[in-house]
This record gives sequence, C-alpha cells and structure tokens, in this order.
Amino acid sequence: MMNRRDVLNLAVAAGASAAICRSSAAADEDSSAANLRIVDTNVSLFHWPFRRLPLDEVELLVAKYRTLGINQAWAGTFEGVLHRDVASANQRLTDACVKYAELVPIGSVNPELPGWKEDLRGCHQKHSMPGIRLHPNYHGYTLDDPRFTQLLELATKAGLFVQIAATLEDTRTQHPQLQVPDVDLAPLADVVKRVLGARVQLLNFRPRGAAFEQLAKTTDVMFDTARVDGTDGIPKLVEALPNDRVLFGTHAPFLIPEAALIRVYESGRLDDSALQTVYASNADSMFWKNGI
Amino acid sequence: MNSSLRPGLPSPEQLKEYRIWDSYFTPAYSHPGSDGSSTLVADIERAMPAVRKGEFEKLCYFPHVGIGTTSDVDFEKMIRSRPEVTLKAMERWPKLLLGMIQLNANDVPASLDALNRWLRDGPMLGVYFRGGGIGSLTCTHPNFHPLIERIAELNGVIMQHTWFVTGGKQSPGASTPAELAEVAAKFPEQKFICAHAGGEWQRGIRAVQNSPNVLVETSGFDASAGFIEMAVRELGAERIVFGSHLPSRSLGTELSKVIAANITEADKRLILGENFRKLIQRPIA
Repeated sequence: MMNRRDVLNLAVAAGASAAICRSSAAADEDSSAANLRIVDTNVSLFHWPFRRLPLDEVELLVAKYRTLGINQAWAGTFEGVLHRDVASANQRLTDACVKYAELVPIGSVNPELPGWKEDLRGCHQKHSMPGIRLHPNYHGYTLDDPRFTQLLELATKAGLFVQIAATLEDTRTQHPQLQVPDVDLAPLADVVKRVLGARVQLLNFRPRGAAFEQLAKTTDVMFDTARVDGTDGIPKLVEALPNDRVLFGTHAPFLIPEAALIRVYESGRLDDSALQTVYASNADSMFWKNGI
Repeated sequence: MNSSLRPGLPSPEQLKEYRIWDSYFTPAYSHPGSDGSSTLVADIERAMPAVRKGEFEKLCYFPHVGIGTTSDVDFEKMIRSRPEVTLKAMERWPKLLLGMIQLNANDVPASLDALNRWLRDGPMLGVYFRGGGIGSLTCTHPNFHPLIERIAELNGVIMQHTWFVTGGKQSPGASTPAELAEVAAKFPEQKFICAHAGGEWQRGIRAVQNSPNVLVETSGFDASAGFIEMAVRELGAERIVFGSHLPSRSLGTELSKVIAANITEADKRLILGENFRKLIQRPIA
C-alpha cells in the first residue's frame, strides 16, 4: 500500500512530466482549460478565528476546487495561527488531507513554543509533509531572531520548504482587539543567503517598497499571487522576478479562490506557457528541489 | 500575448447575460494627466483587456472638473478654462463610459456651479465624494446639505467613499458608513452609495442596515469571502451595486466577489447591473 509520500511523489511526478511535455510543445495549439494543471500553494483548512467562511468545511473546499479545475492544494491550518497545541493541530490537518488526493498538508511550527523542534520533526518524519508554514507576526518573533535562522536551517536540512505568511488579513480590517502588523521582511534576504539550499515562499505579500526590491534579488525566495492586486499586477511580478519565482496561491478560503485564478490571466499579458508556469510548474519545481 | 484560458470566469455568454454595469471604475483616479486626459486614457486602455474578458457593458468613472480635487494648481486652472477636455475619454468610448463628477464639499459655491454645468446640463449622472486627501471632507459636515439638496433636485446619484479602518480614520476628510447613514437620514428621498461597503464590511453593512436609501458598493478591499452573502442577507440584493475599481484593483478580485457568491442568479443580475441602471435613470427635469 502506498503511503502519503508515495502518493505525493506520483502526483508531483505526473504534474511535472505534464508540465515538461506542455513546455516542449509550447507552440501547440492545444491549450484548453482541460489540459491546464493548477496547484494552489496557499490554502488553509478549518475555521478562521473571526468569522465563518463559505468554504471553511474541507469537503466544500475540495468540491469547489474540483469545479474550478484546481489539481492540488497545499493546505496549512488556521489552527496553527493561534493554537499552542501545534502537534494536535498538525495531526488534524494530516487526518483531513489524507482523505483527499488533492490536499497536501503543510504543517505549522512556532519557534516561540517550547518543543518546536519536535513539531518540526513531526511534520517531516511523522506526517511526511513537503514543507511548513510560519506566522511570525501572530507568533511574536522577528526574522532576525536566531531561532528563525535555526528553524530554517533544520527545515532545509530535512528537505522541507518554508512558507512565511507575510500577513493573513489587511491591517485595516483586523479585529480591534487583535491587531497584527505585517511581518517585517527586511532581515529575510540576509538570513536566506546564510542558509545554503533554503527554499522560502512568501504568502499574501504585496510586492512593493524596499523590502520587495531586496527580496527580488534573493533568488531562493518565491512569491505567491494571493494578494497581488491590480489588473496587471501578477504579470508585472512575473516580469520583475527572474527564475520562475511566482507560484499560484489564493489564500482560500479566507479569500475567494476565483480572485487570484482570474487575476493571473485577465490582463492578457501572459501567454499559455507563462500561465502554466505560474499556475503549476513553479510549484512542481519547488517540490522537486526539496527532494520529496 | 493572449490566451484562451479563463479558469474561474463564467462563459462569455453568461457574463453578457448578467449585463454588467460597473459603478466604480477608477482610471487615473487622482489625476487624469496634465493635459487633462493622457493618463486617464492610458489607464482605461490598461483596463480594457479585463473589461473585455468581463464582458462589461458600461463603466462609470469619476472625472475631475477643476474645483480643487487634485493638488495640481495648473491642471485645475486648465480644466476650468477648457471644460471640454473633461469629455475626451467619454468621446473616445461613448458607448462604454458613464461619469459622475468629483465634488469638493470644501468649496460649496464651485461645487454648485459644477452641478449645474455637469449634472443639469449633462452628461454626468451623479457625484463622487472622496474619502481622503485633497478635496475631501467628512460627509456629516454641514457643507454637504446644500449640495445634497441640489443633487436631489437634479436627480443625481451620490457615491460617497467610506471606510471603517481598525484603529480609526487615516485621514481627516474620511467618512465612515455610520456617518453616511447619519447624513442619509436627513435626506430620505435621496439615494446614496456607500462605496466599498466600509471596507471592513461586517461593520459597514450593519451601519447602513437601517438606512433604506443607502446602497453598498462592492469594490476596494480584498476578495474576502462571505461579503456578498452577508450583504444580501442583511440588506437584500436590491441594495448592492457592483464596482470594479479597475485598473488599480482587478477583475479577479472584484468580479469574483459576486460571481462566486452563494446567492441566486437573479441576485447576481441585480448586483452586477440592474440596480445601478435603475439608480441612474434620470427623469428629465
């Protein structure tokens, strides 16, 4: 019987092979939606702490993704944002994901908590996750904290990629009793450069300002599309970043998944090959590079 | 470059059936260009691929008419002396564009003159009040009263920018949905559009819930799930109008709020076009 790692291997291999085939046949006219592979790198399961969301039941989310033609979703857990019993949150995440071939669990680790290395080990060895997701602003540490560097080193050594949620909600609409500023990304470029082989993806980041200019030069840092707004915002991001560093991500179910899905192509500035790269190929590459 | 791929969007036929009229189109929102139109035209062209993909029928934008809604003194002077420049974009896209002029409640006499020039004499359909920066004023200020009275006489629509920002207002001229509800109660026969539903829409919807002459507009914040469902439940679909905020925001963010919402197709048609069409019907005075 195949375990989750085997399933992931097969799914990733199938996706990557398909992507390679399509890439080599970029001139091929066969570019229908049925052949498009889509990987959402930024999904969260369970309940958002501040209100119910239309797709916050796993079954409903998966059903929706099937209608949208999304083949794979990297699923973190909203429980990992505020719960201190991270191990049980990651267990529930794995239990939910194993029921659906599309879902890939991405566990939470909070280096502010005693025993965080055990949580990291659990993500890697017990749950065979390909990566982990961090919420530095909700967990109360900065990216120049030595524990973050250590976490990145250990995750990289274990072959895990690391997703950092730069924010979860516009600061202007947050609950007045739980206002959380966006993560200060200024230290990130230096930390990533020090950890050889590190693969980091920023989630929900609005690419602008000095922090973006610095991170744009750091080739091991990837970006997602969830909060890249403006009718041509995603093509501009793709053009600004060499080396295929933009991965499709929606921040569903907090955000409506169709929003990012449409934004990728609405300006007409990306051809089918470039669309496929953003929708899936870059995500598939991130899997491969981590040796899963 | 172009692609035939369109995941997440309904078919072109379905979109045409919705008859989408965009109440909040924001090309060159802050400044149309020193010549009065170059930046505006460029921004409209930037939005056109999305406008075509969305099969929009009409888009309503907010022209500056030289009454102090920009910080560019030379532009303000130029547009006052050459008002015909204001119409350049509408002349280029006559079947597509509608307009509601930006008013400046800090300057009541100039705003009243502008109402005569652009609403009474046409072709503008209403007014837009900014939510911060140059030309903005909180909508509860008494300066609004003579303006609203005149707009009501001219059967104009009022679009008021609103936000409920956690931690308080970011600009002294900003308005909240609660403040708009206060004003709307004084003018029960006049319709008001609460732009962005207050941004933090859970509070925004509640603030205008008991103001039947206030509609909410859907753009200007992330595509946070559940907004339209709550608005339909608490206000009714008849009190919601679609806005795109293109091109600074996107077809994806703004249209998905409605097309992906768990509401009836009839409600989607109301929100995407019918309500706004009804609102801007102006009996000839």
